[in-house]
Amino acid sequence: MSIIEIRNLNKLYRTRVKEEGLKASFQALVRPVYTEVQAVKDISFTVERGEICAFIGPNGAGKSTTIKMLTGILHPTSGEISVLGFNPAKQRQKLSYHIGTVFGQKSQLWFHLPPTDSFTLLGAIYDLDKSTLKKRVDELTECFELGDLLKIPVRKLSLGQRIRCEVAASLLHSPEILFLDEPTIGLDVVVKQRIRELILRMNHEDGTTIFLTSHDTGDVEQVCKRAIVINQGQIILDQPIKKLKYDYLNKKIITVRFNLEQHLDAPIGVRVEKTGNLGACLSVDTRLISIDEAMRWLIAQGGVADITVQDPPMEEIISTIYTTKAVVV
Amino acid sequence: MKNIKKYLTVLRISLQNAFVYRSNAIGGLVFYSLFIFVFFNLWRAIYQGGEAAGYSLTQMVWYLCMTELIVFGCKNGIYNEMNEDVKSGSIAYQLMRPYHYVFYQFFNALGSMFFNLIIYGVLAVVLGLIMVGPIPNFRLSLLPWGLCSVILGMVINFFMMMTLGLTAFKLEDNLAFFLIYQKLVFMLGMFIPVEFLPKWLQGIAHWLPFSYVAWAPAKLIVAFSWEFFWQVIPIQIFWAILSLMLALGMYSYGVRSLQAHGG
Repeated sequence: MSIIEIRNLNKLYRTRVKEEGLKASFQALVRPVYTEVQAVKDISFTVERGEICAFIGPNGAGKSTTIKMLTGILHPTSGEISVLGFNPAKQRQKLSYHIGTVFGQKSQLWFHLPPTDSFTLLGAIYDLDKSTLKKRVDELTECFELGDLLKIPVRKLSLGQRIRCEVAASLLHSPEILFLDEPTIGLDVVVKQRIRELILRMNHEDGTTIFLTSHDTGDVEQVCKRAIVINQGQIILDQPIKKLKYDYLNKKIITVRFNLEQHLDAPIGVRVEKTGNLGACLSVDTRLISIDEAMRWLIAQGGVADITVQDPPMEEIISTIYTTKAVVV
Repeated sequence: MKNIKKYLTVLRISLQNAFVYRSNAIGGLVFYSLFIFVFFNLWRAIYQGGEAAGYSLTQMVWYLCMTELIVFGCKNGIYNEMNEDVKSGSIAYQLMRPYHYVFYQFFNALGSMFFNLIIYGVLAVVLGLIMVGPIPNFRLSLLPWGLCSVILGMVINFFMMMTLGLTAFKLEDNLAFFLIYQKLVFMLGMFIPVEFLPKWLQGIAHWLPFSYVAWAPAKLIVAFSWEFFWQVIPIQIFWAILSLMLALGMYSYGVRSLQAHGG
């Protein structure tokens, strides 16, 4: 059964515009001019119960606007939305008991108080009785290994510890859907991994449906089963992550620095993008050569001083999607 | 019933939060003492010329202690917080919680107001006793009635400020409203009793909410009379309800335009 259904969704924003210069400033004061910006253009998709779905795209693609419409904060200009059978725009409060949200850049915990106080408050806000709340807090404390953190004022927690508390806080009322907006932003690799594991565990144990936005391809690759790619308000791709991985997340970028000058004779699947005096930038097509083989070849060249391996940025993946689509059409 | 419990928990947590800002509170206490001391000297100099508008010097100093108590008691970061919530768009995230933002913020503010009322209240009494001794004809049994008026004054003040704060939905910079409002409360009661104003201005002041924030409650504390009580309380209740309506109206108007056009 699908628990999120979106059909032909559109959202127009109205923003004030002003030409350059002082004269235009006066004009704008007397007679403001508005333009309409279409943040979301005719998108449709459904999400099944228990799914982990990624919603990805560059900044300004319309991700947050869509999430805001799904949670009832924004009213759609046209189109239909149904979340758990509710119409978010009309039944926001009713819906709020069944969904949880984490915004990586916005805290829901009281800054100067220990998380346990925020948990008490959230418990009251979601009408949980004392014993239910206690049971739930114990469960989450164990699962998220919060232990001592609960008694430390939030301002003294590290970002990673805080995010763990944030996610736990959003799960107190056992929501059926969890919306995560950039949950791993600003976290280091180890903590990112930890958060991803927790998200997976929760989905496994409680069957929570997860709707995640991110522009970190790592989040998407490791957590999600399905990805919806959005750009300039339109869905440009909606497919299982395995396929996306094979088709588009098949490139790694290796930046290498040598101790002595090298002549690189690249094997199949490795392309030298740029060479400098003592360094090079390589792109590896993981369909043709495993990252393991590529690294071994590189080490075999000798004299490696430094190596970094990166995922290509989201923008590049999107432009690849466009070019390959154009070829298909 | 559940709803009341919800908001009482908000109150409790915000009270706990108020205890965290210790250095802030101490700074406020020093500032309050300094303020009272300066005006005590000013009034003492003025009273060399004899009694004024029915207030004795003792009453006048206590009056000042009380209006300042109300103003300092109302001091909380809520105005800034709401302004920020609206401007940064993070008010959006508050919308998807099962509570009403206006009441949530009210109970949130109530926590720090209670806290302030107690600490500044103790200081006000100590300072008043040191400077001019007890209030003449003061009866402790009447204090609770005076305090009702104090609380109503703070409620009016809160919802007025909230209404102004929520104009941030439409206006880029609304600080001016806040400053004007503050000055009005200051001139129409906080600094000097309304009786000191010219007759025509008194007439206007009686029709406006500003003097019911500080003047009326402070007068009830220093010179209680049942006649004045019954005259003032209905007006305060009227303004409290009206300012609440304004805040609710401003809020729902703001949210509607936010939902339609985006933040």
